[in-house]
Amino acid sequence: MPERTVTVASSVGLHARPASLFSQAAAKAGVPVTLTNAAGKSVNAASILGVLSLGIGHGEEVVLKAEGSDAETALDSLAELLATDLDKD
Amino acid sequence: MSDDTAPALTALIAEKSIRLTETATDKFDAIRQVGAALLEAGAIDASYIDAMITRENTVSTYVGEGVSIPHGTLAGKESVKNDALAVLRFPDGIDWDGNEVFVCVGIAARGNGHIALLSQLATVLMDPAKAEALRAATTSAEVYELLKPDPEQEE
Repeated sequence: MPERTVTVASSVGLHARPASLFSQAAAKAGVPVTLTNAAGKSVNAASILGVLSLGIGHGEEVVLKAEGSDAETALDSLAELLATDLDKD
Repeated sequence: MSDDTAPALTALIAEKSIRLTETATDKFDAIRQVGAALLEAGAIDASYIDAMITRENTVSTYVGEGVSIPHGTLAGKESVKNDALAVLRFPDGIDWDGNEVFVCVGIAARGNGHIALLSQLATVLMDPAKAEALRAATTSAEVYELLKPDPEQEE
């Protein structure tokens, strides 16, 4: 299954604003995407509660996985999102 | 997990910060009430409430299951005196960007404390039965019971 390992760039981690933007993007990806934290727990990336439950901090490595014809494109754009500081106001 | 020393959610909620029969004209009114509860608990300076409004204007704090989690911006962290939560229930519901919210969990946290707090809260809300029970809670004892650490979640 295609996957990407990404270091979370948002200075405050994947909390409300970055988590919200990320899960919204995952929901629009067109393919189911899973997000796995450093502790090995996986959730549906399109669920903001799931993303928040992982408690991902700044600089933590996470893994994105997706399956399907658009998986590579979806993973590229989501990985880019995670590698961006989404908490800049 | 990011912060192994995180306190239990329930340890951060003063009983007077649990208010279960509130009404609000709109989501910003609800946020100001949540902020007022945190202010009365001595957790924040009043300026944190403005930071909560700023945050909400930047991105909705609705997280699903009829729950929103108003909190301040990064800049607003300086207005936090000690980590605390407030739980306000609006039995009539509030329109929150097209979603209906029944429970607002206001969060004041310094440093990166919010990450572990949100993780604990989200884990509770991912259980549909617990989320339903929180939306219907009528006593602070029920709220404490729902938000208390789950031994099965310990790692």
